Amino acid sequence: MVTVTFILLGGFLIVAETTFLQFFPDWLGRPDLVFILLVFTAYKFNWFRGLLLAFFLGWLLDVVSGVFLGSYLLLSLLLFSIVKFLSQNSPVKETAYQIPLVGVSYFVVQCLFYLFFSMAQPGALPPWSWSRVLQETIILFVASLPCFVFLNWLYEKVSQRRLVFRSMKRRSGNRFR
Amino acid sequence: MKKKNSDRKKTQSFVFFRLFLLFLLFIILVLILLSSTVGGRFGFFHQLSLEALGPAQSFFTQLSQGGVRLKDKYIALWKVQEENEQLRIELDTYHSLLDEYREAYSLNRYLQAELEFKKREPFPALMARVVGKDPSFWFQTLIVDRGSKDGVVVGMVARTSRGVVGQVIQVATNYSKILLANAPSSAIDVIVQKSRVRGILKGAGENGYVLHYVLKNADINVGDTIVTAGIGGVFPSGITLGTVSRVYSNRRGMFQEIEVKPAVDFARLESLFINLSEEQLIIDEMSRSSAPQGE
Repeated sequence: MVTVTFILLGGFLIVAETTFLQFFPDWLGRPDLVFILLVFTAYKFNWFRGLLLAFFLGWLLDVVSGVFLGSYLLLSLLLFSIVKFLSQNSPVKETAYQIPLVGVSYFVVQCLFYLFFSMAQPGALPPWSWSRVLQETIILFVASLPCFVFLNWLYEKVSQRRLVFRSMKRRSGNRFR
Repeated sequence: MKKKNSDRKKTQSFVFFRLFLLFLLFIILVLILLSSTVGGRFGFFHQLSLEALGPAQSFFTQLSQGGVRLKDKYIALWKVQEENEQLRIELDTYHSLLDEYREAYSLNRYLQAELEFKKREPFPALMARVVGKDPSFWFQTLIVDRGSKDGVVVGMVARTSRGVVGQVIQVATNYSKILLANAPSSAIDVIVQKSRVRGILKGAGENGYVLHYVLKNADINVGDTIVTAGIGGVFPSGITLGTVSRVYSNRRGMFQEIEVKPAVDFARLESLFINLSEEQLIIDEMSRSSAPQGE
């Protein structure tokens, strides 16, 4: 249930990013919400469910964005794996580090993405722009705080519902025992 | 007793005298008034009376006018407030209607231009609506609501009345993805319309285009129109791509650095035409390239 909810949310965010968020000015309406969702799932989801979600989101992004199929899929799987690994095996799992990690990981991913494409497909991407990447990183950093609050709230809600559902299912018919 | 009687007689005669004097004064006054009225003359007494009444009239008039003003300003405001609210609602309604009409008007003008373009151009054009735009900075693609069901094939050219938009790169049954002409991976053979100088127009993302391989001695100025050269068979010749926005000559090298502003506003693109006439050409080319070489 949690995974399905977050996949649906990811789908909605992708649609939002490719449609009505395009009408907002660059500095306001373009935080990469799917990226925030991926980092959040890396903190909260286990490996299997997280990779499943990363796969679906990468797949959908490949469909609606980009030129080279598979690039977003690879990127989202890698991002999830790295953040998950870091959050399990380092002090980064602490809440205080979570938000800064979103910004740092976004910046690193942009650099790696550009590096990869400049080697694999030279001339396929526009020239590297420090100002643009830094601007997007700051926007993402600012947006990640309310997004994390909302995602956390949603995660708790859906998880509780699942627990209640499970406990109801487990209850035996004999109530006088 | 005698003294009392004489005092009473004196008092009675005095009262009688005073009454007589008053009566006389009244008669005189009446006579004066009558005499001044005869002949319709607005005499001294009339004027005196008017001067006496005038201030009183003025005072009461001002007082009543003040009352009316008070009523108009404050008491009537109770109604005005309601009326104001109603008018505000009406104004909002009319504003939204006006917005709708403006939008309809601009849409109508836009569609008229596109329709004229469709009638004018010889190719069978399939109109497609833009339903999604690439959110990333790195890629320039669009999703349109036409797919293989409508005859769209990978490689087809997308255009508007203003110029070239791009090329279809991925196709689903009902939707397609279009790589915009300003994508860095796009390169088009072009000529400068005025001087017929040839070059390769490459996409520069959000910065528009860059015109490559134009020699330093070529005659190119800001404002010159860049059109397709028609070489390679993908784009017919003469389709507008943009106008030269900056020309720069480096001291080193043989070529000029030329920036071109796209004719199409990619950020505001709502609909486009896909050239369906290329379908057979592209299918033939695909079948040729997939066929075994020994044949």
